[in-house]
Amino acid sequence: MTSAWPAMNLHRLRPVSLALSGALLTACAGRQSALDPQGPVAERITLFFWIMVSVAGVILALVLILLLAGQFRGWRQRQHRPLTYIQSRNLVIAAGLVMPVVVLLAFSLSSAATDRVLAKPLPADVLTIEVIGRQWWWEVHYLDSRQNRIATTANEIHIPVGRPVRLLLKAADVIHSFWVPNLNGKTDLIPGKTNTSWVQADRPGTFRGQCGEFCGLQHARMAFLVEAQPVAEFQTWLDRQKQPAAMPVDPALARGQEVFLSSQCIMCHSVRGTRAQGRVAPDLTHFGSRQTLAAASMPNSRGHLAGWILNPQGIKPGNFMPPTQLAPDDLSALLDYLHSLR
Amino acid sequence: MNTFSAIDASKLPSYAFSHCVPIWWGIIGLIVVEATVFASLVISFFYLQTNFPTWPPDGTQPPELLKPTLATLVLLASAIPMYWADSSIKEGKTFPLKVGPLISIALALVFLIMKAIEYRDIGFRWDTHAYGSVVWAIAGFHSAHVLALILKTAVVTTLAWQNYFNSKRRIGVTVNGLYWYFVVVVWIPLYMTIYWASHLLQS
Amino acid sequence: MTQHERTQVIDSSEETRLLTEVWRSPPGFFGWFTHVNQTSIGKRFIITGFVFFILGGLLAALMRIQLSAPENNFLPPDLYNQIFTMHGITMMFLFAVPIMEGFAIYIVPLMLGTRDMSFPRLNAFGYYVYLIAGVAMYLALFLNMAPAVGWFAYPPLADAKYSPGMGVDFYATVVTFMEISALVAAVELIATIFKQRAPGMSLNRMPLFVWAVLVMSFMIVFAMPPLMVGSVMLALDRTVGTHFFVPGTGDPLLWQHLFWFFGHPEVYIILIPALGMISDIITTFTQRPVFGYTALVLSLVAIGFVGFGLWVHHMYTTGMPHLASNFFTAASSMVAIPSGVQIFCWLATLWGTRPRFATPLLYVLGFFFIFVIGGLSGVMVASVPFDTQVHDTYFLVAHFHYVLIGGGVFPLFGGLYYWYPKLTGRLMSETLGKVSFWLTFIGFNLTFFPMHYLGLQGMPRRVYTYFEPLGWGDINLFVSLSAGVLALGFLSSFINIFWSLKRGEPAGDNPWHADSLEWGCPSPPPAYNFRHIPVVIDRHPLWEYQEGQDIPVVTGIRSDRRELLVTSLLDAHPQYRSVMPGPSVWPLLLAVAVGIGFGGFMFHNIFPVVGFVLSFIALAGWFWPRELTKEAREEPS
Repeated sequence: MTSAWPAMNLHRLRPVSLALSGALLTACAGRQSALDPQGPVAERITLFFWIMVSVAGVILALVLILLLAGQFRGWRQRQHRPLTYIQSRNLVIAAGLVMPVVVLLAFSLSSAATDRVLAKPLPADVLTIEVIGRQWWWEVHYLDSRQNRIATTANEIHIPVGRPVRLLLKAADVIHSFWVPNLNGKTDLIPGKTNTSWVQADRPGTFRGQCGEFCGLQHARMAFLVEAQPVAEFQTWLDRQKQPAAMPVDPALARGQEVFLSSQCIMCHSVRGTRAQGRVAPDLTHFGSRQTLAAASMPNSRGHLAGWILNPQGIKPGNFMPPTQLAPDDLSALLDYLHSLR
Repeated sequence: MNTFSAIDASKLPSYAFSHCVPIWWGIIGLIVVEATVFASLVISFFYLQTNFPTWPPDGTQPPELLKPTLATLVLLASAIPMYWADSSIKEGKTFPLKVGPLISIALALVFLIMKAIEYRDIGFRWDTHAYGSVVWAIAGFHSAHVLALILKTAVVTTLAWQNYFNSKRRIGVTVNGLYWYFVVVVWIPLYMTIYWASHLLQS
Repeated sequence: MTQHERTQVIDSSEETRLLTEVWRSPPGFFGWFTHVNQTSIGKRFIITGFVFFILGGLLAALMRIQLSAPENNFLPPDLYNQIFTMHGITMMFLFAVPIMEGFAIYIVPLMLGTRDMSFPRLNAFGYYVYLIAGVAMYLALFLNMAPAVGWFAYPPLADAKYSPGMGVDFYATVVTFMEISALVAAVELIATIFKQRAPGMSLNRMPLFVWAVLVMSFMIVFAMPPLMVGSVMLALDRTVGTHFFVPGTGDPLLWQHLFWFFGHPEVYIILIPALGMISDIITTFTQRPVFGYTALVLSLVAIGFVGFGLWVHHMYTTGMPHLASNFFTAASSMVAIPSGVQIFCWLATLWGTRPRFATPLLYVLGFFFIFVIGGLSGVMVASVPFDTQVHDTYFLVAHFHYVLIGGGVFPLFGGLYYWYPKLTGRLMSETLGKVSFWLTFIGFNLTFFPMHYLGLQGMPRRVYTYFEPLGWGDINLFVSLSAGVLALGFLSSFINIFWSLKRGEPAGDNPWHADSLEWGCPSPPPAYNFRHIPVVIDRHPLWEYQEGQDIPVVTGIRSDRRELLVTSLLDAHPQYRSVMPGPSVWPLLLAVAVGIGFGGFMFHNIFPVVGFVLSFIALAGWFWPRELTKEAREEPS
């Protein structure tokens, strides 16, 4: 436990560790795919997509067959056999005018019908989650029925299976976009505005989401997880998240807390129940219960966390977390403490 | 292959008027482009307004009406000598062309000075809030046009004093006049937007 | 008109010499900066456009190397973000629009049977503005200070707070410049098409490419100014602290509206001239009039109009009211109707003919396949719910490359192979041309079709890397390798351009036996374009001038000064002889003055004032009538 994690070694480990992280994410998360819907909204969109693709395929085939057939006619006859004026006119009117009008009318109506699912008004008493996009992570608040924040976490959103969840989407800096392809399409998070969306998962599982609007340097690594849990399990989780962090009793953990509270960490991070009240970086009150680090860039393992604390710029260049110099013992104690925040 | 003469152009004139001349279309094109620019600014004014509970935003008084209205009348008046010059040269009278534009320039200068005084005391800046930004942008952009107009007309007037223009060679006067009328006329919706809309939306 | 009334026109060599002398562009290095002839300026636009196409392509290659493997470290994130931004800016602003204008500037006056554009000096000015903008943009990239905000530069990311460097200042300046250049070209193309058609070429006898250029020009006139307002507002927000796009006190969505009100028509500004090229190429290679001339013209105009009603479909995810969004779904899909009419008009023309399958026609046939796919995926993304899934993903990347490369670049290369003999006097190699077509066609589809799938698998655009377990690695590697094939295809065309310059088969005036007037003058055209301005009696003048019969022309246009014939707007009746300005250095000086004004703004507030004064001086010098010093007081005849 007390063995040091020299930053040097971590550098060398990076590609391997990231590959490992990948394996871990696959293990727990399904494909981040719009073609693998796990909730009612995504399901309707996917169905609509397959219908559109089928119709589009027929139209494409029609155009190509007409193109080839017309050529075949000329070559077989070894002479010009162009269409007469009337034939041409009928072709253009039937295929170029009537067909598109009919197809597009059907398309517009069924698109609007599909859209009704997205725009469905939710009952007033559904669970509401406020998501704030920040460069480059997600701040998550659970709200009670009077819109008070009752729990705060980051980069990991737990939802109850089978229940619609309302999302209030905001941004603190630039425009981001909230997107969990398996559950729903994107909605932008725009500073100065509040957008709403909703998701519902039909079965338990972990679904990866990612920022859908270019938001600067680390847009590529601004991901998050949606964890759909059975209702009772979710309620337990939420009750725990509402609590402030427990005071450590173990002296080793107390030492870790001391390291944490005397470091620069508390300038930006907060742990509810301590004097760490920073507001510009993820809330760490229940950090140990989260699966990933740095906006779902790495698994939340001891090794990754050490590397992240010592050299965040080497892992996610340009993010706003400064490197921290720590003695090996201090680091170890800090890691123990952070992972004890469950 | 041989060619034969189907049209003998040597009998055609080497000058023409108004919409026969490509430059007339060029100026119309410029005017349409500029009108679209001004329209975009006006639309931005009203779009930004939807973000605010009050418009102009709290703590800002809308600009006063009297001085800008007088300035607008001055600007409108400046088109009259221009029109006088423009129509006189069609009959070959060159004197109005030597004097008319000078009066127009003087009136336009008065307009600019009145604008400068007005914006010195207007009570908000372009970096105060979005209202300030868009009002200053509209007024500044239009004033830049008036300035360009003055310079352009100064060149035309110089040419007139050198007797360059006559009843046949006068397309330069025509297009300069067109542009003058445009800058004057486009001010009316801008004036309505900045001054009247600000007052009406406030109450 | 009967035969005995006809006066044979004898081309005196003295007059030809005079014409050559009067219309000649000054030689030499310094002379180069004074050229105003439309063939000269058009060629510059085309060559510069292709140079930027190659640069943009190289940037794309860098991106494909970076994305070929998960967690690749080939490019650091900041550089990658600069590169994709520059790729977009290059292809949209510095390549696609200018090169279409270039072809229009070169070909349209020849198609109209005139000797130059209406405002030759303005033409030159537009080119220099474009050149300055492009060079400035790439200077920024080489100094590692290019914008890294995407080609649509959404605030607040593009505000000074979140993009503190000078990158976005360059962006705002260059965008403004390209708008000026495009507007200048558009206005003079309109004036030229309206007023300088050969006698007899009434509006309904204009070649379809001319119609397309006319529609494109009108779209530019209405689409570019809102963006100009937007880019100036962005520059002001960044430099003097205005609040246009500041969240809370202004509105970042205002930028998106202004940008896409331009940005969507922009796609049609690129597409429409390409559609015109297709109509003319099909006419030539089937050797029969294209079916449905009127329908095709109306379709172009309809696309031009509808193109302005669709911009909101780029903003479905911004939280717009659903009812409004669904309205834009219906409006957007309407564009498919005029597109469908055009496609089937061409199919009807091609049906049963035995066309000559030369390279230009191959590119057009490639267009059919690619553009139909792009159009169909375009209809799909017009749907609000589906768009929320694929918006800003690789599905969208695939879609707009299908539209822009399929709808724009394929016809453009068709046009290049088609008109190259007119520009140079030599044909391009057919063998190499066919090789290039198949490489481009296959490479293109292998590159971009899989991207649809990547997008549906959740890959967002504009990510510099991705994690291995997301499962995107194999397809990305495949796409990157295919991009190599595509690059080979373009490369073989560029080799063809250089190879054929010296070794291509001499073309003669009309190598394709085409119908329109540009093939009625020598290849390459002399500085005065036409020895005699032709008289048009039909929609297909060169097919109408039968072998052995005399061709009707205009005589009496003076050869001792730059003179051309101006005709009436609708029926092209001769109206007067217009004297055109000659070579001048003022356009360059004005472009430099404007450059100082706009470009200097990012350094200091004094520069716009300096630029204003310098521009005024340059304009006065430009317009100061030469007659006042030379042919002073000469009564017009």
